[in-house]
Amino acid sequence: MKKIKDERLVIQNLRNIRTVYIFQTIGILGILGYDLVLKGLDGMRENPLWIVFMITTVIFAYLSMSISSDHESNKIIPQKNLRISLIVLVLISAVVGYLVSLTEGSTIINGVIIGVVLFICGLIPIVYIYKLRSKRQDENIEEE
Amino acid sequence: MENKVKIARVQVGLTQQQLAEKIGVTRQTISLIEKGKYNPTIKLCLDICYVVNKTLDEVFWVEKENDNK
Repeated sequence: MKKIKDERLVIQNLRNIRTVYIFQTIGILGILGYDLVLKGLDGMRENPLWIVFMITTVIFAYLSMSISSDHESNKIIPQKNLRISLIVLVLISAVVGYLVSLTEGSTIINGVIIGVVLFICGLIPIVYIYKLRSKRQDENIEEE
Repeated sequence: MENKVKIARVQVGLTQQQLAEKIGVTRQTISLIEKGKYNPTIKLCLDICYVVNKTLDEVFWVEKENDNK
């Protein structure tokens, strides 16, 4: 099979993949919804499709970040936004960690672990968007 | 998008198929470009211009429409 070099066909092919992706996502959501109704939330999570769905959603969210960072206004200062995001993240992690440690059957260690995990999970996208924004800012400075 | 690809192609005595083969695209793409139904990238425009020995300006330039908005 020859590799397609015609740009029009390449674009058409990407459009076709997008259509298939829409149907595939609808199918996955349908199966997960069916599981949710029949087996409940835990039963749905046992389905491997749940992991597939979550991974593709996370990948899509990360890829969308590069689009939104180009789309947003140029006035955003990456360092200032990083500071605000970090403060909010620390506050949310601390509050959630504290609340978990207060719940029955959980120790302070549980609260700390959940707080730290939440912090790390939130830190990765924040750092990623910071890098994208600083890269764009550097490009803007070079242009001037 | 209006263009003069067809005129330029006929002037150098090429068929759609021959032009397509020289550039490395399909005949359908050339046909759609000539009809103005497909907007080629600047790279493909340049490839067409190289083959028909004309500049981008001569093949693809169209005057801006005055719509007085």
